Amino acid sequence: MKRTLQSGLLVLCGLGLLRISLVTDLCLRYVKESMRPLLIVSGCVLVLLGIVSAVLDRKRHDQEYDGHGHDHSRVPRVAWLLLLPAVSLLCYAPPALGAYTASRQPPEAIAHQGGFGPLPAVSPLPMTLSDFTSRVRQDRAGAVKGRTILMTGIVTPHGKGGWDLTRIIISCCAADAQSVKVRVYGGPVPPADTWVAVTGTWHPGGTLGTGSAAVALDARTVEKVPRPVNGYQDALPLPTTRTR
Amino acid sequence: MRVTGELVHADREGLRAARPEEEGGDAGALPRYWPLLLVGAAVVPGTLLFLVGRWGDAPAVQAWRTVALAVTVQALPFLLLGTALSGAINAFVPERVFRRMLPRRPVLAVPVAGVAGVVLPGCECASVPVADSLIGRGVTPAAAFAFLLSAPAVNPVVLTATAIAFPGNPAMVLARLLASLATAVAMGWLWLRFGRTEWLRPAVRHTGHQSGHSRLDEFRTGFRHDFLHAGGFLVLGAMAAATFNVAVPRSVLATFTGTPWLSVLFLAALAVLLAVCSEADAFLAASLTGFPPVARLAFMVVGPMVDLKLIALQAGTFGRAFAVRFSAATLVVAVACSALVGGALL
Repeated sequence: MKRTLQSGLLVLCGLGLLRISLVTDLCLRYVKESMRPLLIVSGCVLVLLGIVSAVLDRKRHDQEYDGHGHDHSRVPRVAWLLLLPAVSLLCYAPPALGAYTASRQPPEAIAHQGGFGPLPAVSPLPMTLSDFTSRVRQDRAGAVKGRTILMTGIVTPHGKGGWDLTRIIISCCAADAQSVKVRVYGGPVPPADTWVAVTGTWHPGGTLGTGSAAVALDARTVEKVPRPVNGYQDALPLPTTRTR
Repeated sequence: MRVTGELVHADREGLRAARPEEEGGDAGALPRYWPLLLVGAAVVPGTLLFLVGRWGDAPAVQAWRTVALAVTVQALPFLLLGTALSGAINAFVPERVFRRMLPRRPVLAVPVAGVAGVVLPGCECASVPVADSLIGRGVTPAAAFAFLLSAPAVNPVVLTATAIAFPGNPAMVLARLLASLATAVAMGWLWLRFGRTEWLRPAVRHTGHQSGHSRLDEFRTGFRHDFLHAGGFLVLGAMAAATFNVAVPRSVLATFTGTPWLSVLFLAALAVLLAVCSEADAFLAASLTGFPPVARLAFMVVGPMVDLKLIALQAGTFGRAFAVRFSAATLVVAVACSALVGGALL
């Protein structure tokens, strides 16, 4: 690989990182928000290093580097593989994980929660999917019973003609994605991967407050909402369903 | 331990057979055939998925691309940090510094280097180039490998993440620290006893500062070379990991939760295949609630030491002969150490 090409590859990788972290929010499809500063710094370092290298290499064109054991000017062809993510980031960024991944995963296990406080007296009551699951499965008092609940997430159709309201959660990058799901009853099945806001009441099944309780909702309304900027978290629905 | 020794012995025969071909190639370039094999292993399943995707399962391809890209994007900053550090060690730090820091006797240098892993905050991608430049600066390979294995598992960032992932369970953090250190030190000593220098590809060893060249210039060229080199292998490993991530649905896990023995081996294998970053694997381990704690410990001990992207990175840095033997032996030792430490503490 020629040195100019090496420098070019560095600049391309750097630009790709800068595009997804500094110019757009695309990096949130792959990693957590907290990685963003690191990505910006890395992108800047790569672009700078590439440009400085190209300029310096041009200056000492005649000073060759052979003659000692470790020849830095030769890079194996495997380095070309870096072109794939660089180009992908620059012009062909794949979408965030969605219904396909969620449908192939078991629902995330809910950590055991000690005590439950009373639920706020608003209707509909905004909740996260994890919160709803632990309330249904662990809250002996059955506080969710009869309450109208508002949750947002993506649509994951399942084989039997129904669908799950889903949130995909990542703890580091999209490779460790896990999903929380709430089965939704009533109404037609929206297209897969749409973001929706659902209001409804707990769908009776099993004993509320025990592991046998169905994590499900009888939907009253299902509305399309825009995709939130950071989709990989189990966040509360915003007061107005318009997120951006 | 005995099993590992035999394994390494048996592999030696294979090495002698493979050796002439490797020497026949250019000293700087890799042997022709094996990167192709690795590329094939990573790309062919992906291509198959892609072709399958044309017939109506396109979300699988998108998920594959997302996961491969996510692993790459997540690892790049740490790889950059590692290569910058290794370039700096190579160009600016004189050999006598390491001679003064580490005990003269290799047997003692191994545990010291293992504990020194605490200072490199980051995930496993950063430690490979650093270990490579340590060897170049005259550090005994055994000590450098102990550092390579322990650094991604015992640094404060990872231990804090483990403590957060397992709230109210400090024994898990302690068990992870001890089992990782034990594995790193055991592998260092095993290398002293059975390791062969010729398994390491000599061409990649850093030569350090040469008189007559500017140090900054050496830093720049070394940095660029190491980053491009390791970056290519990182992409390769990420693609392989994404293939397994998408091809094997997570719901398969449920079938292995029953028997404790099987679950330890299964989660160790899963750690190798998923190639999750060491800063995140604790959260994943915490979510595998169906498995006994020892199996989850094995997942966290094996993950930072052996996984697909690491094997690819090591093969690129130290040579294939090394990567295969070292990863296989590390896997065995790591499972044994986590079973012992986990059995005692958890």
